[in-house]
Amino acid sequence: MESVALYAALTFSVFAALAATFLRDVLNAIIAFAAFSFGIAVAWVLLAAPDVALTEAAVGAGITTVFFLVTIAKTVRPGGQRLVERVEWRSVAVVAVLVGTLLATVRSLPAVGAADSPVATSRVTEYYLQNAYPETGVENVVTAVLAAYRGFDTLGEATVVIAAGVAVLLVLRQEAYV
Amino acid sequence: MIDLLSTHYNYLVFVALVGIGLYAVTASSNLVKKVIGLNVFQVGIFLFFVTSGYVDGAAPPLVGHGSGPYASPLPHVLILTAIVVGVSLTAVALALIVRIYDAYGTLDEEAIREVQLND
Repeated sequence: MESVALYAALTFSVFAALAATFLRDVLNAIIAFAAFSFGIAVAWVLLAAPDVALTEAAVGAGITTVFFLVTIAKTVRPGGQRLVERVEWRSVAVVAVLVGTLLATVRSLPAVGAADSPVATSRVTEYYLQNAYPETGVENVVTAVLAAYRGFDTLGEATVVIAAGVAVLLVLRQEAYV
Repeated sequence: MIDLLSTHYNYLVFVALVGIGLYAVTASSNLVKKVIGLNVFQVGIFLFFVTSGYVDGAAPPLVGHGSGPYASPLPHVLILTAIVVGVSLTAVALALIVRIYDAYGTLDEEAIREVQLND
């Protein structure tokens, strides 16, 4: 049952991504992208990653969509006669090379959900699952790793956010945008 | 191929999303749609990571409530960081796009190139 829902969420996401790519009107593409983020957030829940799902729903479907909408409100929104874009065959050729290469490797990956996959059986995973609660007192292992074991990484992440905020302010400062 | 669909579906979707993202980046002449393509590409890679930590019937890694198996927390942590960095990148890219529109009056790649040639 779970896996049927997962297939549905992933398939929905692929079609939403296709819509975001091929719809000509940028506003339509942004709405399709928000739907894509929503489908992916559902997939994260079904893949037992609720923290990622919350972040994706808040950041991917929420903040990113708002950024895109603000951008097209400040610029143009090329609409047009056609509903969908023409297929660009040179890009299709480039994509075919990438997709072909990746598809050749898919067969070598462990099956989805295999209990003996290298990640599930790795010593790091076992260490975190066994020791995170006794060592940090946090029941959510993802939070424990994010804030305790890899706290310096999270500091780096916060630095990136600050740097991005400064960059946005610098880029837009001279205009009347901010 | 059929058995691959049932056992490796997430990885096939990963390949599809990466392909769609690359197509949007290379084929769209509109800069905003290129950024959408970047985001789709990025989510494809997230799917690869999160899938690699998943175990059939696994609970989310919240220890202390019942017993395992739990999904591996490490890919989740990496992807949480990557999502936040991704939205920062998107914000900077979109700010640059607003400035590009200010300077060139268009967001179409070909039109911008023509303006540059005429200058």
